[in-house]
Amino acid sequence: MTFLELTNIRKDFGPVTAVDAFNLQVTGGEFISFLGPSGCGKTTTLRMIAGFEKPTAGQIKIGNNDVTFAPPNQRNIGMVFQSYALFPNMTVAGNIGFGLKIAGTPQNDIKQRVDEMLALIHLPNFGDRYPYQLSGGQQQRVALARALAIRPQLLLLDEPLSALDAKIRLELRSEIRRIQQELGITTIYVTHDQEEALSLSDRIVVMNKGKVEQVGTPFEIYNYPQTQFVASFVGMLNQLHCTVANAAQGVLLYQNQPINTGAALAYADGTAVNVLLRPEELHFGNGHGDNQLTGRIETVSFLGATVRVQLNIGDTTLTMDVQNERQLELPRAGQTQVVSFPPHACWVMSHNGSGQ
Amino acid sequence: MKKGSLWSWFWVALGAIYLLLPLTGTFIFSLRAKKDTLSFVAYQNAFSDPKFLESFGFSVLMALLTIIVSLLITVPTAYWVQLRLPRLRPVVELLTLLPFVIPAVVLVFGLIRIYSRPPLALTGSSFTSNILLIAGYTVLSLPYMYRAVDNGLRTIDIRTLTEAAQSLGAGWPTIILQVIFPNLRGALLSGAFLTFAIVIGELVLAAFLARPAFGPYLALLGQNRAYEPAALAIVSFALTWACVGLIQFLGRGKTDRDRGLAGPG
Repeated sequence: MTFLELTNIRKDFGPVTAVDAFNLQVTGGEFISFLGPSGCGKTTTLRMIAGFEKPTAGQIKIGNNDVTFAPPNQRNIGMVFQSYALFPNMTVAGNIGFGLKIAGTPQNDIKQRVDEMLALIHLPNFGDRYPYQLSGGQQQRVALARALAIRPQLLLLDEPLSALDAKIRLELRSEIRRIQQELGITTIYVTHDQEEALSLSDRIVVMNKGKVEQVGTPFEIYNYPQTQFVASFVGMLNQLHCTVANAAQGVLLYQNQPINTGAALAYADGTAVNVLLRPEELHFGNGHGDNQLTGRIETVSFLGATVRVQLNIGDTTLTMDVQNERQLELPRAGQTQVVSFPPHACWVMSHNGSGQ
Repeated sequence: MKKGSLWSWFWVALGAIYLLLPLTGTFIFSLRAKKDTLSFVAYQNAFSDPKFLESFGFSVLMALLTIIVSLLITVPTAYWVQLRLPRLRPVVELLTLLPFVIPAVVLVFGLIRIYSRPPLALTGSSFTSNILLIAGYTVLSLPYMYRAVDNGLRTIDIRTLTEAAQSLGAGWPTIILQVIFPNLRGALLSGAFLTFAIVIGELVLAAFLARPAFGPYLALLGQNRAYEPAALAIVSFALTWACVGLIQFLGRGKTDRDRGLAGPG
């Protein structure tokens, strides 16, 4: 059942259109991420859902209520900011209970709810501390508790982990997901970090220059990108410029070498297309599929669990990710290397950017 | 001691002598009221004059009222400018600096000209003259109060705090009273003490509006007596230093800067 609906949302700032033709339907309890580079309009869209910006056109409905022009303090949303925004003059308990106090909740109920929230975020004895006494990660957890204490119908998070260091980010990421699933609260999460979006979300909305590029599950976004932008923004990508040799049999030509994509193609013979290959789908040796390419190794980077190899195959350089094994013999720069990949690893995209 | 720091101490000492020598001279002079000995007679005389307490009390009252009026004007204005009208900020800053440019005597003559005849005849009675005085003091202290409040607001991210409060259901009065004011405590106190110091020592406005303030009292005393004005000058200095000391004390350690502004980076 649709809980949050955005219809034809547009936002102009003077002559600049920050968000255009934004349509989205969110089911109750879903975790949605808005993913995209800086300036793509994801935060502006979130702020319109929160009520801090008014859309230039379009409609926003939460539950069955049209909240397009409702003020932010009447939408019953919980918001978590990148800068935590804890009230410095109040204790942790004071911060968490703030929304309840404004709503006129009796003192006992406030105390009970605050204790509940502190337990939820695993900070049970922190009620009397002030924000300045907490680490960044702790502050963000308190901010989350504060947003959830009022039992909001929607949880909005604006790049909540960007200001934290890598290790804390990982911990808090799983905390947020755990709490969200425990409470079953519909959540919109804005981030520019694809790993965050991929690991947390039920669905991802990939945005670029104010427009939605693709909406899908993390698996779909990564493996079946619908546009050039989505393909290159999410994960690393290799592109081979090919021409269609035999559309019915799914055969392409890459520099006079046949590439078998394994399925019929909806392009005419002779069309120029791109074949997109993920680095992890390429393998050393000729035993991993029909398609083979030979090149010269340029660089080898040992990243721990992965070994990243740059292979020059003539008109382009391929990036390969090989899984580390203790008995792996690391290739050396300058070596000639054959790589192979199966037909199903090929994702064919036309030159104007639509994929199949 | 390294040569560099020796020189630093030298210049500090020179500056200190420059400032403290006249003060010391005044202090010693104030102790000489009784012939051939050093005593605090001048201070006793000054404090035992009923007019001293009267005028000092009056100025303290005016200072407190000025502080309240000033806060009620500057805090919402500075807040609104920072939150919603950032492009107006240079204009407002220029306005608040005008009292530096316009001498107090010009200000008071302007006030008298406009408000001494109908329909706005306010110079006729004590009560309305006091209102004029407070208005004039508010203008004089505006640069200090506005700067203090503006700086205080800049050190807290008022936009995000406001949005956080709104998302939790707060309306404007709640935001200003429970979020903004408490987090400006240090800045407001700084502004208040600066205003206090200005009003206590102010002469021109009070004299031309014929109000029984501390400034005119000091000036009058200076025309008739020798030692008592010196004593009161020292008292004035001490009072001002006490104010500054209090601002320093409130400005360090666990106040706004160290306390809640633990946001990221």
